[in-house]
Amino acid sequence: MSEVVKEKITAVDTVTCTIDGQQITVPRGTSVFDAAGQIGIVIPAFCNHAKLKPVGACRMCYVEIEKMPKLQVSCATMATDGMVVSTNSQQVREGRKAVIEFTLINHPLDCPTCDKGGECDLQDLTFDHGYDDSRFGFDKMRFIEEEKRDTFDDLKIGPEIVLNRNRCILCYKCVRANKEAFGEYDIGAFERGDLTEINATPGGEVSNPFSGNLVEICPVGALTNSDWRYKIRVWLTKTVPSICNFSGSGTNITFYKEDHKNFVYRVTSRCNDAIDDGWLSDITRYGYQIVNSESRLKTPLIKKGGKQVKASWDEALAVIKKHMGQIKDQSGGVCIGGLISPSLDNASLYSFSKLFRTVFKSNNIDFRGDYRYLPSVTDSLFTIAASQPFSISDIEKSDVIITFGTDLIREHHNEYLKIRRAVNFYNSTVYSVNPYAVKTADIAKSEMVYSPGTDELVINGICLVAIEKKLVNSSAAAKLKSKISKLSPGVLAKLTGLSKEQFEELAEAISSAKKVTFIVGEIVARSLDRDKICAALSNLNKLFGVQDKGQLAVLSRYANSKGAQKLGLSATPYEIVKDELKKIWGEYPDCQPRNTDAMINLMKKEEIKGFITVGANPMRLYPDRSFASEGLEHVDFLVACDMFETETTELADVVLPLCSWAEYDGDYINLEGKVQTGKQAIKPKYESKAAFEIMELIARQLGAKLFENEQVKNEEIEKLLKLDSVLPWPDDFLKIEYEKKSSQDGYPVPLFICDDPHHSGHLTEKSPSLLNFSDSAYVELSKGLAAKIGVADGDPLRVESPVGKIVVPAKISPVLNSDVAIIPRNFSSTQTTSLLMRKKRVDSVKLTRVEE
Amino acid sequence: MTFYSPVLTNAKEIAGHDKLHLFEFVEDEKQYQLKRYLKHGGYAAWKTVLGKMKPEEVIEEVKKSGLRGRGGAGFPTGMKWSFVPKDSPKERYLCCNADESEPGTCKDRVLMERDPHVVIEGMAIGAYAIGCHLMFCYIRGEFHHCIERIEKATEEAYSKGHLGKNIYGSGYDLEMIIHTGAGAYMCGEETGLLNSIEGEKGMARIRPPFPAIEGLWECPTIVNNVESLAAVPHIINRGADWYRSMGTEKSAGTKLFSLSGHINRPGNYEVELGFSLQKLIYDSNYGNGISDGKKLKAVIPGGVSTPFLTPDKVDVPLDYESLTEAGSMLGSGGVIVLHEDTCIVWTILKLIKFFRHESCGKCTPCREGTGWLEQIIQKIEDGRGGPDDLEKLDSICGNILGRTICPLGDAAVMPIQSTLKDWRDEWLYHIEHKKCLVKQDFGF
Repeated sequence: MSEVVKEKITAVDTVTCTIDGQQITVPRGTSVFDAAGQIGIVIPAFCNHAKLKPVGACRMCYVEIEKMPKLQVSCATMATDGMVVSTNSQQVREGRKAVIEFTLINHPLDCPTCDKGGECDLQDLTFDHGYDDSRFGFDKMRFIEEEKRDTFDDLKIGPEIVLNRNRCILCYKCVRANKEAFGEYDIGAFERGDLTEINATPGGEVSNPFSGNLVEICPVGALTNSDWRYKIRVWLTKTVPSICNFSGSGTNITFYKEDHKNFVYRVTSRCNDAIDDGWLSDITRYGYQIVNSESRLKTPLIKKGGKQVKASWDEALAVIKKHMGQIKDQSGGVCIGGLISPSLDNASLYSFSKLFRTVFKSNNIDFRGDYRYLPSVTDSLFTIAASQPFSISDIEKSDVIITFGTDLIREHHNEYLKIRRAVNFYNSTVYSVNPYAVKTADIAKSEMVYSPGTDELVINGICLVAIEKKLVNSSAAAKLKSKISKLSPGVLAKLTGLSKEQFEELAEAISSAKKVTFIVGEIVARSLDRDKICAALSNLNKLFGVQDKGQLAVLSRYANSKGAQKLGLSATPYEIVKDELKKIWGEYPDCQPRNTDAMINLMKKEEIKGFITVGANPMRLYPDRSFASEGLEHVDFLVACDMFETETTELADVVLPLCSWAEYDGDYINLEGKVQTGKQAIKPKYESKAAFEIMELIARQLGAKLFENEQVKNEEIEKLLKLDSVLPWPDDFLKIEYEKKSSQDGYPVPLFICDDPHHSGHLTEKSPSLLNFSDSAYVELSKGLAAKIGVADGDPLRVESPVGKIVVPAKISPVLNSDVAIIPRNFSSTQTTSLLMRKKRVDSVKLTRVEE
Repeated sequence: MTFYSPVLTNAKEIAGHDKLHLFEFVEDEKQYQLKRYLKHGGYAAWKTVLGKMKPEEVIEEVKKSGLRGRGGAGFPTGMKWSFVPKDSPKERYLCCNADESEPGTCKDRVLMERDPHVVIEGMAIGAYAIGCHLMFCYIRGEFHHCIERIEKATEEAYSKGHLGKNIYGSGYDLEMIIHTGAGAYMCGEETGLLNSIEGEKGMARIRPPFPAIEGLWECPTIVNNVESLAAVPHIINRGADWYRSMGTEKSAGTKLFSLSGHINRPGNYEVELGFSLQKLIYDSNYGNGISDGKKLKAVIPGGVSTPFLTPDKVDVPLDYESLTEAGSMLGSGGVIVLHEDTCIVWTILKLIKFFRHESCGKCTPCREGTGWLEQIIQKIEDGRGGPDDLEKLDSICGNILGRTICPLGDAAVMPIQSTLKDWRDEWLYHIEHKKCLVKQDFGF
């Protein structure tokens, strides 16, 4: 449904009906079920789900409607004018009783041993609507695995999911959600009649990146996960509202915790229609397990005689005082640098910035430790593109959605699902334009795979064709044409591997769209030429007026990337942020600002002697491992704060245990710029401390004080958050130079290092559940490329770049269709960033079979 | 043996008849070939339609003829076609429902095996009427011979330009896909059929939206029975008024009845609607009486989904209205005759086993209820019935009737309800005496 149609419905097309004597006016197309819900009348149901299409399978939501002789299912009956509905008549009550009776005849009464007990829809609705006794009197139908002879019939159907078919009441929500919301087909219904069973597809397992949702929406205990099974009864836990710490969109979650054990037992969704529709990725759902991990850093560590040993906080801080004090006094604060994770809360980020800028008087800070060779200027086009406003809920209101340079299922799960929803429920049209084929393409009208490294040429192609076809304003067209017409669309098509028709299709789509969402992702953000690509995007935006009728932005990847930008955590903050900081602090260091790349360079030159990392792991994630390690190994004094021992803490002179986000209250700004609070669920585990506490402690060791009290801190942050953080695009069209790049001889396959669909960054490998899905690195490649090399799925493959070499198993992708290699960066067992070169536009590798 | 399924038909009688038409050539061994079909006037209607008629005129003609759906529900065919939104930019599809699975019914099978081209021609005209360029013929998987014949006929039709691109130079394109089922009764239900074509599990879809608005791949789709479509070329050739002149006022035309059970001449008979059921059973040209000279006990008039008729109700005209009045339904025309030695409980047990087996499992009452009913009925049949079992059956049937997504739930319970009413003494006898009223040597 296009926005126009939708608006029309809300504005004009409403119906008024009467439900249980109350009149209500709702948009046409609203179900009786939803209409009743709006006036607080809860109709019981098993199969209805607010975010799925109605199927009317469970028959629990019967209502009586005047002039209709039969009971109607309210979930699939649309309210009409003058309709008179009764949700609680004698006939309705009898109908529900009958459904409960039917549902229970084959349902085991094993509530005392069922994990769903206490939060089971069937339990609750039986209590409310069922008979007190049973009229059945036969043996219940039983699914029993022959070899197992297990009356519980527990089948493991995926890395995490356990199925009990006997408990299943066949509401089909799991199958429907999988298909309609996630676009996955790894669970299905088999057989028919009362033998119908839900199960994994034959020979397969339920392992899609959203499979945890199936457990959450199961109305009974048929689908459970090993995360929660037999660990605790739900009524013994308390719930705490929080925010996902692994995604840029800040998916809303609920922690289930138990105070005596100081333990988080699970995470479920906390549906926020504006953000997440109540669907969580498995990373969000199972990633919390890192909080409980036994392998967390328990105490500070200090290096003694080349070995890290346990120490108290006082000892550790004393060492920091000594060394950092020394560097500060002897070489100056400009010789100290720091890198913080953009997943940390506002208070931690701001304290970090204040520590460096007011105590060390240094501008050597950054929060983007996993992006290669970032420019150190504030108003780089990339920064501008990343600062643009974006609204998640506008995705489904857009009739045209373009995903450019983004592998959503590995970067932005939530937006991936939103786009699916836009297509399945609102008839939006998606164009997937990427340097390799991505999973999003299955719902795209067209998938366009361009040659890696030609991103800006694709955009130029679209612009030029739009000009040629007179799809855009002619004066703007003339201006732009003079800047970019050096290469004709035909040549661009050849260079990018696309066709002129494809440029034309995109140009038509953008120009004819009523509302556009143009999503730019990590493939662009991680590119060496990100500024050039963003310049092309700036031209496109201006030419088509994209933002006048929609949105265009580079999406923030991490939980608080937006916060880091707003609070000035980059070496060169926005001018207004800088001015405000000057005002708040009464000072601002005037030394040269240095970002990650510059800092590492200076480490090599021994100009940076002290370095603090907070939650960041550049040794793993910086896209050039040898560059990062050469730098960090040169640092005289390295302090690393993290939840776990990492490749970076290994090098550190002092290691400090960091709290997880579940252990303190924190504010996070999602990719839309929305501030959300994650509440403290449990007390800090072991001796860990929150980053803002650690920053304050370090400051005080050095004789300074960051904040008098918490209120002051919050007020300062508040002032910064008030500032407008959207940077304006350049006024003029920009010239985009084309440099011919020759591919590296002998390394023919373009390489992309990114997140596994079940992992995010370097922390999630500590979640046992996520490891069950994926536990080590691999190289994903297309069927064609695998055949060319002569490897089968799982065969070891030697991956060589000019700078590094790893051996990992091959994984044949059902999606990829061109010669590229995709390798995850999430596993400490394989240092995959060692293949990368920070100054390369497109990394490339040579793949060879490992002979036995 | 000349035919794969040697079903008796009344083709000979029809040959000299100026009205009956569906079975006119079904005893002609070569009728399935295009050459013979053309000789008998085949594809003339299709040529007329493409050459001279607008789609609306076709719909109007079929509406005027009074043709009603022969699959069981009896919905006016022309009206169904007119429900396809005229201004929809989406593709439209026509599906021929050739998944004939109603026990007791085998009429479509004869048409497809022996006169396949008339089915294709009817489909083509229907497709043209609704603006469809891709039509499906969904054939029951077990009908190997039908599939073979329809496939062959389709090939022939394509090769001689009756299907394909720019048919007869009219500029109209029409493609046809033959889709075979995999043995589910459910797929004969129109929404189950659509799911099956889409590659989904054969399960009913909730209505509305009706298929004419949102069917295959959410596009307007018309699903018609084989027999309904086969009548269309005749209507075009001979005119709506001719068709109207047959049958009764509200049930126009002719209908195929499959007569089976305890009958002397089981077979497929084409008669005008309104024909006497009594005559169909006893007339020597048709059923020729009950087998072994026994007395009649019950008649299932329209396939096993329809309520049973007691002997006193058998003198009824076979048309939609009269049978509804008599407490049953015309259904698909599968007339099953039961004589006096038939145990009603045993018969119902057979039926409920079938419905339990074929329940798709989507909605609760049918999925769970049919299994429960079977277990109770089996218990009664086995002589283990209890005094409250009949009330339980009444109650469960009531809880299924009208409460399911598709008519399969109703179909499963209506025969039970009718026998619980009309043969309650027999049910009670089973429970009280732990044996059968009719089967003297019935061992438990």
